[in-house]
Amino acid sequence: MSVITPEPTTVQHTPVTEPAPTPATRRGLPKRLSFIRPAYWLPLAVLLVGLGILWSITARDSPYLLPPLAAIGEALAANPGFYLSNAWATLAVALVGLAIGFVGSFILAVLVSELPVARRAIMPIAVVLSVTPLVAIAPALVVAFGFGPEPKLIVTALICFFPILINVSTGLRSVSPAVLQVFTTLHASRLEMLWHVRMPSALPYLFTALRVVFPLSIIGAVVAELSAPGAAAGLGTVISVASSNNRLAVVYAAIFCLAIMGSLLLLIITAIEDRVLHWHESRVSATR
Amino acid sequence: MTLTVPATGTADSISIRGAVKIYGSGTSRHVALQNVDVDIKRGQFVSIIGPSGCGKSTLLRLIAGLEHADSGTAEVFGVTPERACAAKMIGLVPQAPALLPWKDVLGNVSMPAKVNRRADKLRRRIHGHLERPAPDMLDLLNKAGLTDAVHKLPAQLSGGMQQRAAIVRAFGVQPDVLLMDEPFSALDEFTRESIQEQLLDIWDENKTTVVFVTHSVSEAVRLSDKVLVMSARPGRITASVDITLPRPRSQMMLKSAEFHHFEDVIRDHLQTAWRENPITGATPVPAGAPA
Repeated sequence: MSVITPEPTTVQHTPVTEPAPTPATRRGLPKRLSFIRPAYWLPLAVLLVGLGILWSITARDSPYLLPPLAAIGEALAANPGFYLSNAWATLAVALVGLAIGFVGSFILAVLVSELPVARRAIMPIAVVLSVTPLVAIAPALVVAFGFGPEPKLIVTALICFFPILINVSTGLRSVSPAVLQVFTTLHASRLEMLWHVRMPSALPYLFTALRVVFPLSIIGAVVAELSAPGAAAGLGTVISVASSNNRLAVVYAAIFCLAIMGSLLLLIITAIEDRVLHWHESRVSATR
Repeated sequence: MTLTVPATGTADSISIRGAVKIYGSGTSRHVALQNVDVDIKRGQFVSIIGPSGCGKSTLLRLIAGLEHADSGTAEVFGVTPERACAAKMIGLVPQAPALLPWKDVLGNVSMPAKVNRRADKLRRRIHGHLERPAPDMLDLLNKAGLTDAVHKLPAQLSGGMQQRAAIVRAFGVQPDVLLMDEPFSALDEFTRESIQEQLLDIWDENKTTVVFVTHSVSEAVRLSDKVLVMSARPGRITASVDITLPRPRSQMMLKSAEFHHFEDVIRDHLQTAWRENPITGATPVPAGAPA
């Protein structure tokens, strides 16, 4: 090129194709395996050991405050099938409730984002309902629907409903004006716009909601089970029965199961998110 | 559906008659366009230049059917802008590349073909419309220097490459007119000049009508057959300059005397427009230099 520039080193000087950013090589281990490094896991390990010691001291001095860690382990080991089947019962409620809440809130989110009238009518109610503690609604639902699965599913669905509704309806409207103009001049129909542009744009918002809602579904299921003790099964029922019998080790064993379940769900949804949103700026730049 | 027969204008030009566009009211009243008349012949490359807020983007959006004039008419080759959009006669390249981040480059440039599939049928019924075969997208991408980027995501591309993909996307629908709204304003000078060259290459082959909004004088001179100079408050066209430089226009020509002559002519027009401006005219600021 014949043009002279005062600072040639700072300007990309390839006339035909500027080079795309190449993946930067990382120092030492690849990022995927970085958790092997002591710097990565040592702080957590130290804290865990410290907390374990504190727990054990408390359990030895006042066994009604906390059960010994060994007792929890024994409870789990003595009857793993019991915990597994109850965990499965809770998980089933959580996932079915989540699915119901997801479908309902997604449809409503599309409606609300496409029709301003619907948005003005529905969103204020949604916001008020979303700040109402569902723990308070659960007993009322048990009175209304009995001890069957219905109140549990309703509570779980409701608890999942609003994060998805609010995030997805925001996401569907997050498309940049320039993109909308391009598709408007192509005379894309509303349905095409929704399918090809708005829904993919809403995906990052959807996953933000799902990361909240997956673990939340378990909370919903347990809250419902606590409100309806005596019903079939579930870790919530296990907790309420065991605590009324002063069997603290069993209570904590059930809590331990719930914590594991919640973490697994979070792990699964994060893994799915990584695959689906591989195109998202945050991920693309991370692999550069 | 019956085809609306145009009252004015012909199938061979884009014509705007007495367009008025006013935003706001009272003290915030802003006349974006005041009695603007424009005629752009088929196959012409026309640039619209002027200071910020002179209504050049409004004019472009009027042709694109994204905005409606308060009075006056706009016609794109004999039909209304809306109808032109319905027939996919308009390709838009906005200031930001506006690519879909979840689609790779090929997916993005193929996107227009996936929406509004009825357009082809409608196109054939519009009088004077030129039938063209569907372009080979990979070929177009090659010509735009995007051979290696075909399967890359927008976030993996530089700004210049993203804008090229946006241009290919617009050319890909074989539009009767390409509307470009300051498409290179966010790019550095080198990238800008190389893209200008590629745009001219592709344009030479297709001879698509182009309406190009810019605030760079040299860009306007280099690319255009005709440059419309606009002035602000109220937005109006103050001059029309025919650029008679031969084509193809190489990098060398940028330094030629003729090239500078046209640049000076347009700068003069811009300056005159600025001085005549009823509001800002009192302040003798050198206004010709593009931002």
